[in-house]
Amino acid sequence: MLELSNVTKAYPNGSVALNQVNMSVERGEFVFVVGASGAGKTTLTKLLLREEKPTSGKITINGKNIAKLRPHEVPYLRRSMGVVFQDFRLMPTWTVEENVAFAMVVVETAPRLIRRRVAEVLELVGLTNKHAQLPSQLSGGEQQRVALARAIVNKPMLLLADEPTGNLDPETSWGIVKLLLDINSTGTTMLMVTHAKQIVDTLRKRVVELESGCLTRDERCGIYHG
Amino acid sequence: MVKPRTFGYFFESAGKSLLRNSWMTLASISTVAVSLLVLGIFLVVAANINAVAANVEGQLQVTAHLATLSAAERGRLEAEIKAIPGVTDVRFVPQSEAWQRLLEWYGDNQDFLAGWEEENPLRDSFEIRADVSHRVPEVAAAVTVLAGVEEVLWGREIVEQLLAITRMMRLVGIGLMVALALAALFIIANTIRMAIFARRREIGIMRYIGATNWFIRWPFVIEGLVLGLLGGMMAASVLAWGYYLAVRALVQAIPFWPWVQPWPFLQQLALLLLSIGVVIGILGSGLSLRRYLDA
Repeated sequence: MLELSNVTKAYPNGSVALNQVNMSVERGEFVFVVGASGAGKTTLTKLLLREEKPTSGKITINGKNIAKLRPHEVPYLRRSMGVVFQDFRLMPTWTVEENVAFAMVVVETAPRLIRRRVAEVLELVGLTNKHAQLPSQLSGGEQQRVALARAIVNKPMLLLADEPTGNLDPETSWGIVKLLLDINSTGTTMLMVTHAKQIVDTLRKRVVELESGCLTRDERCGIYHG
Repeated sequence: MVKPRTFGYFFESAGKSLLRNSWMTLASISTVAVSLLVLGIFLVVAANINAVAANVEGQLQVTAHLATLSAAERGRLEAEIKAIPGVTDVRFVPQSEAWQRLLEWYGDNQDFLAGWEEENPLRDSFEIRADVSHRVPEVAAAVTVLAGVEEVLWGREIVEQLLAITRMMRLVGIGLMVALALAALFIIANTIRMAIFARRREIGIMRYIGATNWFIRWPFVIEGLVLGLLGGMMAASVLAWGYYLAVRALVQAIPFWPWVQPWPFLQQLALLLLSIGVVIGILGSGLSLRRYLDA
C-alpha cells in the first residue's frame, strides 16, 4: 500500500533530512514512527503529503509514484488519505460540523450524504452534542477528535497522524489512541509519528525508528527505545 | 469540472466568511469606498474642467470683415465660406448690428461714441465657427484669400495660448487621474492581500484536506467581488448625491458656468466606479491567493 525505496531528501542548505530510506507498509497495518527531534519524521510526513518532493528515490502509494505527480494531481492524492496534526488545524471560525463536512464538500459529495455521514462520524468520536460549537469552545482532546473525524469522514485507506497526542494530557491521549485503534480495526492503514513512549510501549505495534535521517530500526512488535 | 451545486457552496462560504470576518469586511469595504470616492471626486472635477475648456474652445470664432458687397456677392461669398472644410456655422453681422454691440459693450461709458452713429465706421462681417477648435487657424487662412474679404480677425495669439492652456489642463488631468487610479488600485489590492494573509492558515488547511486551487480560490474571488461591489456602490452613492446637491447649489450661485449636468454623467461615473471596484476586488483576491496556492 505504501512503499519508500531509497528515498533521500536533501534541502537546499545542504542538510540531509532523510537518507536512503527503505520501508514498506501493508494495507491495514498500524505503524509507529519514532525518533528524536530532527531525525526526519516531519520530513517523512511532508513527503507523504507531497508537500515536498524527494531528492531521489521513489514513494509509491497504492502503486502510484507520488514524486511524479503534477501539481494539479496533488489534491487528489491528499483526498485518498486522512491527516491529523499535533496542532489540530481546524478552521477557527467554522463549527465542528462544518469542519468535518468540509472534507466531503471538497470531493463534492451530495449534501444529503454529507449530513448523514458527518452525524455518523461525530457519533463515532463522541461529539454529537457539540456539532454546532466552534473549535475555541472545545478542549484540546475534543478538537483533536474533530480533526480525526474530518480525517476519516471520507473513509481514507491511509491515515497519517503527526504527533496526534503531542498537545494532550495522558488520559486524553489514550482516548485519541483508542479511536485510532478503532479506525485501524476497520481496515484503515495507520502511520503515527509520535514521541509518546507509554503509548508505543503499551500497544506493541510495528515501530520504525529514524535517526539522523536514516531508518535504524523496524520491529514488528516494538517498543519506543530499541 | 466543478458541479453546479458546489457553486452554491462557494457563494454560501463567501457569505459566511464575509459575516464572520466582519471587521475585515468592513475595513476592506471602507478602503475600497474611500479610494474610489477620492478617484470619483477627481473625475468630477476633471470632467468640469474639461467642460469649461470645451466651452471656451467652442466660443472661438473667425470674424471676416467684408468690403462693400451686393447681396448677390455676399450670398456667393457665404456659400464659399460654408464650403471650407471644418466650417460649421456662418453668421452674417450687418454693420448696424455691429454698432449696437459696440454700444452694449461700452454700456454706461458710451459717451465718446456720440456723433458717430450717422456715419457708422464699422463694416459688415461674417462670424464663422469651426467644428473643432484647433481648426480655427486653418479656417481663418482659407477665409483670408477669398474675394470680398478685407480683413480676418481670429485672435491668433489668444487662440493659440488658449488652446495650449486647455491642452495642458487635459494632460495634467489625465496624468493625475492615472496616478490616482493606480493609488486606489494599490490600496485596495493591499487591503485584500492583508485580509488573505490573515487567513493563510485556513488556506493551508484546505490544501491538506485535498481542496484544489480553484476550490480554494472561488469563495475568495466571490468575496473580492462583493467587497468591490459594495465599496463601489458606497462611493458611487455618496458621489452622486453630493454632486447632485452641489450642482443644484452652484447653478444658482454661478448660472452661466458650464457645469456638467448630473444626468447622464453620474450614471456613467457610477458604472465606472462599480466596474473598477469589482475588477480590482476579483483580481486583488485572485492574485493575492497565488502565493499561498503554489506547489
